[in-house]
Amino acid sequence: MDEGSQPSAAGTAQGGAGPWSVALRRLRRNRLALASLALFGLIVLLSLVAPLWAVHVAHTGPNTTHTLAKVVVNGEKREVVDPTGKPTGPLWLGAGGRFLLGADGSLGRDEMVRLMYGGRASLFIGLIAALLTTSMGAVLGLLAGYFRGWPDTLISRTLDVIWAFPVLLLAIALGLVLAVGGLQIGPVTIPSGSIWIPIMVISVVFVTYTARPLRGEVLSLREKEFVEAAVAQGAGSVRVMFRELLPNLWSTIIVFFTINVANSMLLESALSFLGVGVQPPDASWGTMIASGSNLIKSAPLLTILPGAMILLTVLSLNVLGDALRDALDPRSKLRLEVHAGLAEPEGTPV
Amino acid sequence: MRRSQAALAFLGIAAVALGLASCGSSSGSTSGKEGGTLHGTYAAFPDALDPALARTVEAWTAMYDTYLPLLTYAHENGQAGSKVVPALAESLPKISGDGKTYTLTLRKGLKYSDGTPVKASDFAASVERMFKLNSGGSPFYTGIVGAEKFAETKSGGIPGIKTNDKTGQIAIQLTRPRGTFTSELALMYVALLPADTPAKNLTADPPPATGPYEIVKSEPGRGWSYDRNPQWDKANGNLIESVPGGHLDKIDIKVVSNPSTQVNEVERGSSDWMQTTLPTDLYNGVKEKYEGSQFRVEPTISNYFFWMNTTKPPFDDLKVRQAVNYALNGAAMERIYAGTLKANQQVLPPGMPGFEKFELYPHDMTKAKKLIAEANPSDRDVTVWVDDENPNNEAAAYYQGVLKKLGFNAKLKEIAAEDFFPLIGNQSTPDLDTGWLDWYEDYPHPNDFFQPLLSGESILPQENSNFAQIDDPKLNAKIAQLEEEPLGPKQEAEYADLDREYMEQAPWAPYGSRTVSTFVSDAVDLEDVVFNPTFGQDLASFQLK
Repeated sequence: MDEGSQPSAAGTAQGGAGPWSVALRRLRRNRLALASLALFGLIVLLSLVAPLWAVHVAHTGPNTTHTLAKVVVNGEKREVVDPTGKPTGPLWLGAGGRFLLGADGSLGRDEMVRLMYGGRASLFIGLIAALLTTSMGAVLGLLAGYFRGWPDTLISRTLDVIWAFPVLLLAIALGLVLAVGGLQIGPVTIPSGSIWIPIMVISVVFVTYTARPLRGEVLSLREKEFVEAAVAQGAGSVRVMFRELLPNLWSTIIVFFTINVANSMLLESALSFLGVGVQPPDASWGTMIASGSNLIKSAPLLTILPGAMILLTVLSLNVLGDALRDALDPRSKLRLEVHAGLAEPEGTPV
Repeated sequence: MRRSQAALAFLGIAAVALGLASCGSSSGSTSGKEGGTLHGTYAAFPDALDPALARTVEAWTAMYDTYLPLLTYAHENGQAGSKVVPALAESLPKISGDGKTYTLTLRKGLKYSDGTPVKASDFAASVERMFKLNSGGSPFYTGIVGAEKFAETKSGGIPGIKTNDKTGQIAIQLTRPRGTFTSELALMYVALLPADTPAKNLTADPPPATGPYEIVKSEPGRGWSYDRNPQWDKANGNLIESVPGGHLDKIDIKVVSNPSTQVNEVERGSSDWMQTTLPTDLYNGVKEKYEGSQFRVEPTISNYFFWMNTTKPPFDDLKVRQAVNYALNGAAMERIYAGTLKANQQVLPPGMPGFEKFELYPHDMTKAKKLIAEANPSDRDVTVWVDDENPNNEAAAYYQGVLKKLGFNAKLKEIAAEDFFPLIGNQSTPDLDTGWLDWYEDYPHPNDFFQPLLSGESILPQENSNFAQIDDPKLNAKIAQLEEEPLGPKQEAEYADLDREYMEQAPWAPYGSRTVSTFVSDAVDLEDVVFNPTFGQDLASFQLK
């Protein structure tokens, strides 16, 4: 058996192809997964081209105000914000792409530009927080599951304390404390208002949701013969954990990562909406929902658009995560179906 | 008439007289029904439901009919509401010839809502409690003999306040005459509380009341409720003719942070009143639909401004502060406030005695940038503080943009409204560079805009209200001198000069005065609702149809 490959009956049946190739093939056959991947890719692309749109099309930045400005729409001058404070609605291509989706309130900021920059912030926070969560969760799960004894007790009880708090409440409490004073750990200082504050908060509150399941898998894997063999050959703990156990966890880690991105983005939106995530006037989809909610009656698009972006992003990531899980470990789908009473367990006589 | 008929007539007259007497303590309106529950909403929980600590209009509205000082402001609309009238005191103070001694007499028979008798010594204890709590109202009362020392030591009493519980007499000795002191005795800070009231913030457990309503439940962040004060009809209401007894049996206030939701609730009738001024995007629509029946515009004497910390870079440089004033565009601010703001660039707002219009800094971005180039500040990192209420936060976002155009690296910090004043009033809070503020008149005297906000003696380590931390001895002396004199045309002209002198120093970038609104549901009689210029809507005036 190749080092680093996960045993898979279906993989063996493919006649010698590696498990990753097999998984890729399964994924390519899943049209829903491909559509989700394409959708997510489109959202990422939209966010990446935000500076290009801002400079070359909208000719404005995400925080630039246009309260008294006028824009030419189909040859006529129109106020971006009227004297009663009402912002212009979507101009579509009437002003050459400027204020495509309208202005965001009495400050007259370009809604399309903010939506794109908001996506950059939300995606950046979601991806980095998920990376940190998954990495920390993997390390903690490995340590706890491999060593057992007091390291396991220490790590597991700490995770239990975090687990005991409702995620949103814990995140709000941490966010509130750090929003004013920032964070200082030794030589590392993160000023208040930095995008790294919500990243740190989200990483911490979600780590337990990754570490505990991975710990369970490690507990199971460490009893396998290949681990015994490695130990018998004189492999130290670090080598066993990172060269023997970790490769067998990659598929699980990858699936967790995609789900963590989705959850992190949702939590970021909630924190930003509540004023303890991304700080105004910077745009994230959460802050845009918060500021748009003040205009929900007169300009509902200002709330609907960022909400829709969050919905589409999270949906595509969740579908992708499911598809990855099915591709990497088809038996997990079967186990779920058995558990739900939708299929017979493996080995049941027909 | 025969004796029996005379007796009956006498009884009848007595009954009518008694009926009239009990009506005397109510607002006197007969247009609606008595009783019922008013459901109101606030966008944020007040900064405090403790009379010694509360500094916002929102809090004073909440406590106007609950905690009574010796004097109060007439429960009337507009200008009439600025008149000081006796509350717990029998009459307005007798002022000695040298203007330094104020003598009042507590009405006999007053009780707190828990049945405890109100004593003259409670006034001294309440003033001491205010100083112990380092209240933002303290600067109004440091002129009392011994008060400054007590404010530092928090012990030893205030020798300038002498009380006699037997006679009810209260004598207040000042270090020097103070023309505004009668008005200041009517402020919420010196509302009487039982002498044993702990010197801590009692927002979550409000102390007993003397007014027509008592706060029976307080859940900070969520809401609070009133019941009728049981001692009002039994005792206080019969003694205090200047305060109406209220029509409602209960008032429930809940915090609904989204003003659009508040509007929806009032329109649907699930809420009867919203304390918050209408959000700008709904203002004109609601005004058009409901003005006269459920909606009314209320003029205020107020100032909205951005303070700049004159003690630290970059705003310790006069040129920088003047540049900011040139850069701020009043027309943009009027638009952000959707027509509820009138641009003004002075310390004193229109309508305040002493106001004389001038414009030192007409909008000129070129001039502003030139001044910044001349000043060439080395520290360009600034933090802009604002509360999270709309459109104040939008005004601050606009201001942040202006600072960025001037070459500053401006960062916006939005703080929950209920935490805003305590946070920016605490000098240990880092990065207090510049920020938003509004100030509504406490009383119709220009000193109210100078002494607490711009005088050196108002700079406090906590509960600070001189956010610009300007401490100019010459200007301080002028404030102190004008404080002593009764307000007349000469003093008004001097206040106008003082306004200009302060704006030449530009500790603020003022941008306007605002109107607020009263919006009630169909169940409430709008005509009855009294809007006091200092205390806002008078809860005792609300009546259900």
